[in-house]
Amino acid sequence: MPETIIQVRDLVKQYGDNTAVNSISFDVNEGEVFAFLGPNGAGKTTTVEIIETIRTATSGDIQILGMDVNKNRTEILKRIGVMPQDFSSFDRLTVWETVQYYARLFGSDVDIDRLLKLVNLGEERDKHYVTLSGGLKQRVGIAVALVNDPEIVFLDEPTTGLDPRARRDVWEVVKDLKKRGKTIFLTTHYMEEAEVLADDVAIISKGDIIAHGSVDGLIDRFCSTIHVAIKGAGPGVKEIADEMSLVSESLGNGNVQIEAENNEQVVEILNSLKNKNIGYGSVDIRKANLEEVFLELTGESLIDKGDAK
Amino acid sequence: MNFKLVYASLSITLKEFYRSKASMFFVLLFPIILMLLFGLIFQDQGETVYDLHVRDLDGGLNSQNITEMLGNTEIFNIIEVGDEVGDIDDAKDYLTEHKLNAMLVIPEGYSDGFDAIMIDRFLGIPTNDTVDVVMIYDPANTAAMTKISILNSIMDGVNKAATGMPDVLVLEMETTVSDDFDYIDFFAPGIIAMSVMTTALFGTVTINTELRQKGILRKLATTPLSRSEWLLANILYQLCMAVLSTISIILIGVGLFDLNPHLNLFLPLFVILNVFAFSGIGMLITRFVKEAESAHAAANAIMFPMMFLSGTFFPLEGMPDFLQTFAKVLPLYYVNEGLRAAMITLDEGTLMTSTIVLIVLAIVIFILGVLLTSWKHD
Ligand SMILES: Nc1ncnc2c1ncn2[C@@H]1O[C@H](COP(=O)(O)OP(=O)(O)OP(=O)(O)O)[C@@H](O)[C@H]1O
Ligand SMILES: [Mg+2]
Repeated sequence: MPETIIQVRDLVKQYGDNTAVNSISFDVNEGEVFAFLGPNGAGKTTTVEIIETIRTATSGDIQILGMDVNKNRTEILKRIGVMPQDFSSFDRLTVWETVQYYARLFGSDVDIDRLLKLVNLGEERDKHYVTLSGGLKQRVGIAVALVNDPEIVFLDEPTTGLDPRARRDVWEVVKDLKKRGKTIFLTTHYMEEAEVLADDVAIISKGDIIAHGSVDGLIDRFCSTIHVAIKGAGPGVKEIADEMSLVSESLGNGNVQIEAENNEQVVEILNSLKNKNIGYGSVDIRKANLEEVFLELTGESLIDKGDAK
Repeated sequence: MNFKLVYASLSITLKEFYRSKASMFFVLLFPIILMLLFGLIFQDQGETVYDLHVRDLDGGLNSQNITEMLGNTEIFNIIEVGDEVGDIDDAKDYLTEHKLNAMLVIPEGYSDGFDAIMIDRFLGIPTNDTVDVVMIYDPANTAAMTKISILNSIMDGVNKAATGMPDVLVLEMETTVSDDFDYIDFFAPGIIAMSVMTTALFGTVTINTELRQKGILRKLATTPLSRSEWLLANILYQLCMAVLSTISIILIGVGLFDLNPHLNLFLPLFVILNVFAFSGIGMLITRFVKEAESAHAAANAIMFPMMFLSGTFFPLEGMPDFLQTFAKVLPLYYVNEGLRAAMITLDEGTLMTSTIVLIVLAIVIFILGVLLTSWKHD
């Protein structure tokens, strides 16, 4: 049985009339990557910062590392590492000096050069922070969050605004941290990020957790559709779908998209193609993703909102 | 209070300052410009001497006396005009010809007339006789008008003296001219007080709103650094800035404008208290006014009245009573008074009052800063 390291019960946060977080409860287990997935304004940052003890909840009971956030602030801060959303640092300090400053604040004698290697910043150690690219800046943020060798690392949207390459670099660092036994609390509005990294995902929308579980579990539970895309096929494909009463769509040029409900139906579609002697260029079979789960649950798109930022 | 954390925070802010040429420039620019500007404007204040052409047609003892007396006021530089001017009309031509704006003519018979009156007075014989001197002037010229009014005051004094009344006016003229207290001495401490205030207030507001906007304050909130340690580090940083600007002001004053200040421990004391008070006020502003622009507006709102009403540029004596009273609740007033006493007058009473008021103020503001500001945001 995994140990619960963060326990949130009935957390409510109100800003005037606006309920930013509406009575949510969840657990985070030791050693896992927990992803808090939701669009802008869902209440992710509000929730994490309450757990990090830098905001105060309107009501609710929050335990972290077995301590109450309202009572053991100092002790908790020593044992967690935080990279706030839109992390930024002193422009004219070098990467090394930046990490050193935070290490001094924690009274930590961490080996700064080793830490920089861990987040792949060895080469940049003497560059001024302001001269770094976005991806490198985020990695400084991660390094800074690790100076006190924390048990839990909070990363609030660590890859927002990064290009795909830089995003993947950050993912590698996160995977590495997990291997080192850290618990990681990640917030993101990229479903792909959650799919790649998370053991456990909580989907949050408008202050409510609307689904919580493993990536596969969520997909199976809320959106089991399997997309079968047949390209460059002769006539008769759409009829196969109709016979099986599956939703399908002709996209022209012999490209047809069929939505199967389970693996058996996929096999059946492929068999029918063979039996009816319908030739085709290629078949692309893809499971539903978290984006579609979100769409299914809220009727809204996660991606558009997220990238509009 | 963990002083290691204060030191670590102070050293990174200083490093950033040192590496940013722009901020270094601005910290020094403001005091230096002010000092140069005011130094040049008031360089000759108090030493102004007017040329006065005098034609003595009388040539008697009394006319020589009055000429000499005018010269002794040190306001007039007497230039005696010779024989080429024989009467009033000659004098007018002479003015036009030599492009002069005024000439005092002492008519013939002045000395005798003067003596006659004095004898009558001495014998107690009532008389309404007068003796005249004639001022010929160009009415369009302001310098001429100034000369006339000065001359009038002097005459007034002479007349009062002659009638046995105390010569109030002459006495006042003398205090003004003979005092060593130059305007530069008056405003150099004021410039120091104001530069230090501005740097501390705006420096603190700028740094903290910027760090807030960048999210750095939020990050710092997740470290063991406490609010009071951060506050102290900020104040010490501003103190370093204050030392820089104070030194540059004094160097410029001494080097270029004959500033001759007393240097004693009260100077650093008032600079330190000034920084504590206004850095603390800056911290409080950024606590309650979150947006950078409004925070700067709030800092301005505090700075402007201080600048004009606490005796930085103008002596308070000239202001209406209610403003003078108001000035006495402004912290900068005590910094001004204190610094002026420390550097120029060495007035012990003022030194004590200012020290006490400012120490109390700095402590109160620091405590408020620690109590009221918290890392947590809502
Ligand atoms: N300090 C605050 N004062 C008032 N309202 C706030 C404050 N912070 C957050 N909110 C509101 O709470 C809600 C949730 O905001 P939050 O920042 O937690 O969202 P988020 O999920 O982190 O979004 P994003 O992806 O944009 O970071 C929003 O409606 C926001 O306007
Ligand atoms: Mg957020």
